[in-house]
Amino acid sequence: MESVYSPYAWLILLFPFVAFVLLIAFGRQLHRLSPWIGTFAAFASFVIAALLFGERIAYDVPDYSWAEFRWLNAGEASFQFGFEVNALTAFMLFIVALVALAVNVYSAGYMKSDERLSAFYCYLALFSFAMLGLVLSENLLQLFIFWELVGVSSFLLIGFWFVKPEAKAAAKKAFIITRIGDVALFIAIWVLFWRMPGHGLGFTSIHNAFHTNVISAEAASWIALLIFIGAMGKSAQFPLFTWLPDAMTGPTPISALIHAATMVAAGVFLVARTYDVFLAAPAVLDAVLWIGIITALLAAVIAAVQTDVKRVLAFSTVSQLGFMMTALGVGTWAAYASGLFHLHTHAFFKALLFLGAGSIIHVLGEQDIGRINGAGHTMRITKWTFAVGALALSGLFPFAGFWSKEAILAEVWNRSVTLFAVSIVLTALTAFYMSRLYFYLFSKNRSRQTSSSAKESPWTMTIPMIGLAVLSVTAGLIHMPHLPWLGEWLTGLSFDTDLHVMIMIASNLSALIGIGIGYLLYGRTGQQAEDAASSSRWRRLIYHQFYIDDIYAWLFVKPLRGAGLLLRWFDRVMISGAVHGTAALISAVGRGAARLQHGQLQGYGLVFLIGAVILAAILFMVAGRSYFHVG
Amino acid sequence: MSGILTSYLTLAAILFCIGLYGALSKRNAVIVLLSIELMLAAVSLNLIAFAKYGMNPSITGQIFSLFIITVAAAEAAVGVALLIAYFRNKGSSDVTDMDDLKQ
Amino acid sequence: MSSITQFFSSSEHVIFFVLALGAISGAVFMITLSKLVHMILSLAVTFLSLAGLYVLLNAEFVAFAQVLIYAGAVTILMMFGIMLTKHEDAEDKAKRPRHRMLLGVSITLLFAVLFLAIQQLSLPAQDALQADNNTEAIGEQLFTLHVIPFELVSLLLTVAFIGSIIVAKKEAE
Repeated sequence: MESVYSPYAWLILLFPFVAFVLLIAFGRQLHRLSPWIGTFAAFASFVIAALLFGERIAYDVPDYSWAEFRWLNAGEASFQFGFEVNALTAFMLFIVALVALAVNVYSAGYMKSDERLSAFYCYLALFSFAMLGLVLSENLLQLFIFWELVGVSSFLLIGFWFVKPEAKAAAKKAFIITRIGDVALFIAIWVLFWRMPGHGLGFTSIHNAFHTNVISAEAASWIALLIFIGAMGKSAQFPLFTWLPDAMTGPTPISALIHAATMVAAGVFLVARTYDVFLAAPAVLDAVLWIGIITALLAAVIAAVQTDVKRVLAFSTVSQLGFMMTALGVGTWAAYASGLFHLHTHAFFKALLFLGAGSIIHVLGEQDIGRINGAGHTMRITKWTFAVGALALSGLFPFAGFWSKEAILAEVWNRSVTLFAVSIVLTALTAFYMSRLYFYLFSKNRSRQTSSSAKESPWTMTIPMIGLAVLSVTAGLIHMPHLPWLGEWLTGLSFDTDLHVMIMIASNLSALIGIGIGYLLYGRTGQQAEDAASSSRWRRLIYHQFYIDDIYAWLFVKPLRGAGLLLRWFDRVMISGAVHGTAALISAVGRGAARLQHGQLQGYGLVFLIGAVILAAILFMVAGRSYFHVG
Repeated sequence: MSGILTSYLTLAAILFCIGLYGALSKRNAVIVLLSIELMLAAVSLNLIAFAKYGMNPSITGQIFSLFIITVAAAEAAVGVALLIAYFRNKGSSDVTDMDDLKQ
Repeated sequence: MSSITQFFSSSEHVIFFVLALGAISGAVFMITLSKLVHMILSLAVTFLSLAGLYVLLNAEFVAFAQVLIYAGAVTILMMFGIMLTKHEDAEDKAKRPRHRMLLGVSITLLFAVLFLAIQQLSLPAQDALQADNNTEAIGEQLFTLHVIPFELVSLLLTVAFIGSIIVAKKEAE
């Protein structure tokens, strides 16, 4: 059966784009209306995404691909623009559009009193446009363009409160560090371009090329590695993860949308989109696996000692992204499905957690968990939805996170027992830091000394939270051990997944242990807030992210700054000297000429006269006598 | 033999140079206009002298100087009109104040 | 010496000398006098002298035109120009010494070039234009050979006078 809605998939992009154009052109005039415009665009996109998704679930429709728009020709190769709707993209579109809609609604409350409300919605629309475009892209080059647009809008939104110097610094840092990955991705695109038969960059032709082994294993390894480095930058994988925690200086809805649910998942999506390349390069898959698990573990450890709500969640995001990468690194289609499944559930509950954190920040005006110290317990909706999110993230039955984690754990178990053990530890750690965070924020026991007059956030903020909480419970049901519907739908293969009771018990047990420790340590009494500076050396080491930022500073920033200073000296003295010298000379000539330009007609006449006299004298001397002798 | 022609031409050159000096140095716009008239008259004298003593003596030189006189009259009329208009707007008839070309 | 006496032997030459002296002194006085009215009057002397020279050059019609237009109309027009604008009699508010100096030097050079050129001019001996009924000849020429420029000049005059009236007219409030 032919798809009815797929030919209109481009409309998804149109709405946010129109909203963006409207808001950038008439933002000032539309100030109060801008949330409506943004939300309407997000809603329209969501409707189409839902139609596409629903159609693909209900019927067996073929993939739809349209790439007729020829952008430019280079020799015999040509670059096309188009869009492609298949199971993966429809799935991603649905997630992105849904979270974007939730965040748009939520921001109407969160950003209400911000005077740059329309700019915020403008950037938000740009981001939605870019992210949806990235997902819909038919080929790698087009994906790269949207990939960069996503980076730009992320930069704009992280630095939205640019009066704060740390927001500016964070925006720059995010932009520069992801740029490392982007450059790698771009090189990967070039290598692919040269290696591909017919220079095709379309995902379909990549799929075909790697299935027929046209491209050598070595080239495939390089391409896969470079693509993965690109994904590492965007998805904040070790060692390029340091930008994500800093990016939390942006508005919280942005952290929920960009830095939890969608943009950081773009790296995972990219790996999934080009999974054929990775399957042709087993060594790179191993690298994905190990980097994923290292990132996951490292970030979970760091998350356990952070004292800022949003930073805890940021490191948690990094950790979960690492976990998705681990799943993809296992290298089977079942693992691939489980990774994407986790991306899907994680998008909902992490967005929910961020929105909950935002709600607390909005009401209490405080981000430090030590100072919040349980003050959120009167905010009932926030408290309960946050609890749902935390439990889902911890992977407790029957929340969404449980199903996706279980799926990954089963795949990891098949791969290696060691990895499985590490993953179980990771689950426990995750549950631990989430319970720590939860108790710090909402525990009644802690809040003796703080006044508990906090009121709930407005309905625009709670409704998205409730919606996402519902999804955090139910979203796991689409892919279960004996019913791996999502995986089969995504890959078109059939899995015979067993019910790993042992794995389920192990993961639930480890999560319960983590929660239990968290409760024992933080939930019972009004323990004093921990102070990172005065605590033990190990805690400080972890708090400062193992000083990776400082290592970067020593390794890259300082030498570069030294080189920069040298170059600046060279530029100042040599180049600027020459440039300024020339400029000074010219401006001196100009000043002289300007003095001639005095507007005095008689002066001009004099100059003219002098010229005429000189010409006449030359004529007289050159032509001489003969000229005046007639006849 | 063109002795008397040389004298006429020299006289015209002297008048022309005096006129030019006046046009480029006087500050009052009326005098500048007058100096320009003098320069034109010097040229007319040249033409008429050539009409009598030139290569092919003919009356055309005189006709040319008639045209010059006409154009000079028109120029003087327009010049004075412009001068009055300028004076009414700017309150000055000093050439050195007329530096609007600078802008 | 002999060439000078030879020059003044002819009465035509004497008349030329007197008129040329008048023309030059009129022009020089126009430059040097300080009162504007005096300047204009001295230039009128120059124009009248030039008219005399035109008569001497067998151009009686041009001479009359010169007297009528230059010595009459233009001079009067300039008088009006002076009366209608405010002016400082003292000519030198700021001397602009460099401007004057440069101007003097370049005009001297110009004159030198012109003078040398005139001195070097040599024309083959010609019969001078015969003076017989100058006005009739001019009329014939004007209405045959030069009829188109003649009509154009009349057009030019009309345009110029209408234009000057419009320019000088007081603008409506």
